[in-house]
Amino acid sequence: MGDVQQVPPADRPAEAFAAVLALRRLAASLERAAVDHALAQGWTWGDIGAALGMTPQAAHKRLAPQRRKPLDE
Amino acid sequence: MSLRTKLADMSVMKKLFTAAEQEASRAGDGPPAAEHLLLAALALPDDSGRRALSEFDRTADDVRTAIGEVHAEALRYVGVEAGPDGRLDTGTPAAPPSGPYRSTGSLQVAFQRAVELSKRDGSSGIRAAHVVAAVAEPEHGTTARALDRLGIDRAALVEAASTALDEPR
Repeated sequence: MGDVQQVPPADRPAEAFAAVLALRRLAASLERAAVDHALAQGWTWGDIGAALGMTPQAAHKRLAPQRRKPLDE
Repeated sequence: MSLRTKLADMSVMKKLFTAAEQEASRAGDGPPAAEHLLLAALALPDDSGRRALSEFDRTADDVRTAIGEVHAEALRYVGVEAGPDGRLDTGTPAAPPSGPYRSTGSLQVAFQRAVELSKRDGSSGIRAAHVVAAVAEPEHGTTARALDRLGIDRAALVEAASTALDEPR
């Protein structure tokens, strides 16, 4: 578990909005990394979907590693 | 606008949008945004964008690095430390886009502005430096923060882009 952090007040909008964008980006990379580890640990797409609050089909469609090849390969 | 110009614009547009999409995908980002359009413009065969940036002794790689650093710094503001480019190295990148072209509002606004600039100066179509000038204009957003991080004054970059367009190709 990471250290608990107090979210700063949003009275500096430029910093707050930049943080919002960066958090969205970080969430997406954390989600992909967690899926990779879950699959390696034997989780099914049903398990992953349930953990993410989506159907197995939706989870697979959006997050299957074979759907994540770089465009230039 | 002549038919030749329209066709040239369509060709540049296709190259820009495809390259912006690839930049976003490689960086693990969602749909491409203005900062990805800037990187795409710096990769065009037309070197006017690269020449504008070189006035500040900077390259596309410097911009790419600065964008990651901007995200990392923004995360620290909310107490999150996530590496030098603000994301996890997952080994597997973001999903390649499929279906209709998706982009963020910031890319659309920047591209429309680049088209306006190209029409205004009577160019024979959109050039890389038009895109550089267009993305350098907004005061806020990831591109503005990345340029600031690189020590590039936005107004000076717009000026450098204008100068690059005036030089013979």
